[in-house]
Amino acid sequence: MEDYGSGFEAEPGLDEGSIVARAQDGDLRAFEHLVNSYQGRLFRLAYRMLNDRGDAEDVVQEALTASWRGLARLQDVQAFGGWVYRLATNRCLDVLRKRSTRTEHITDPQDILSISTDGAGSDQLSDPAYAAERTARDDGLTAVLNTLPPEQRACWLLREMHGRSYAEIGATLKISPTAVRGRLARARIQIAEGMNEWR
Amino acid sequence: MALDDEPRLGCGRSIDRIWTTIDQPLNAHEQTCRQCQAARAQLKRLNEATQALREADLHDEALTPRSGVKTAIMDVARAEIRRSKRILLASNGNGTTEISEQALSSVIRAAAAEVPGIHARRCHIEISSATSDSSVDDPPSGQSGVIGPHLVIGLRSAVAPDINIPRTVQLLRQRIITAIPAGIGISAGTINITVEDLYDV
Repeated sequence: MEDYGSGFEAEPGLDEGSIVARAQDGDLRAFEHLVNSYQGRLFRLAYRMLNDRGDAEDVVQEALTASWRGLARLQDVQAFGGWVYRLATNRCLDVLRKRSTRTEHITDPQDILSISTDGAGSDQLSDPAYAAERTARDDGLTAVLNTLPPEQRACWLLREMHGRSYAEIGATLKISPTAVRGRLARARIQIAEGMNEWR
Repeated sequence: MALDDEPRLGCGRSIDRIWTTIDQPLNAHEQTCRQCQAARAQLKRLNEATQALREADLHDEALTPRSGVKTAIMDVARAEIRRSKRILLASNGNGTTEISEQALSSVIRAAAAEVPGIHARRCHIEISSATSDSSVDDPPSGQSGVIGPHLVIGLRSAVAPDINIPRTVQLLRQRIITAIPAGIGISAGTINITVEDLYDV
């Protein structure tokens, strides 16, 4: 059982539902394929939510580990993608909630300093070349994005960066698809206005 | 409440509507409404910035998790893997011969992979109790279990749209009937195949 690393070369056209079904039967190669397919997407979501590499990696690891543990209970194999996105989004929101309670209880100025440098807002991707490559427009958008309340940010990221459906986003945030639509419209106008000010 | 909740500009236009028609020409109201024009210009810039960020993030090597993350996930998966059921192939005075359901399933899936237009999904294997008793006898003339237990295979599958399902499923059944004796040395028994889904090609 050590050779799960080779992926699905033998069946390149296998649909995701079939891969999920095989992972449900305990097939590690199938599960590894799902990890390969989702870890980057979930990391990008978590990084844009949390602005911290380490925290984003923890979210990816926890969400995909939880997906392995809960896989047997997943009724509809087509729902896997929406489900892991939900696991990751809710973990991000948990991290942000913890951060905000931590900030509320801080009295030492030294601690406040450390929070503001590892918390939302600052850019932590360590490669300086990376930061230089990013256009001012991207920076403006991400700076304004970080001013949105967490749930609204999640809503915008899930729709605009990851193309998830209104129904799925609604299920994740426990609101109706119509409410998702409204929240998105508000987020868009808020970001657009914020970008105006930013420039 | 949901409809009233829809964010609107001062002129009454829904912001969502402006967003969804951003690539279309201005309508009569929008041609004269300053608020609509301003919102539209802002949203257009946002639209471009959104697309640019999406592309940049997608291709940004720095925006990927370290390889250690996957290693840690797979380590947990391997440590916590559910041990699959064992299926008794033969038993005599010298001991028993068993095979895991998973090993048997992989033979079945490999056979299915040769049939175009059908993907094997979950696979459950039972031994029919009515006939399994006879299987525990030592096979005659020392042959290693060419008859074996009577397997009942339940295979779920997804098929490509526009295929002949009865013919494809029958072809798959034939492949399995050939593959199990060839790969394991017992006969295939009963093979129940369920088509549960159509997959996109």
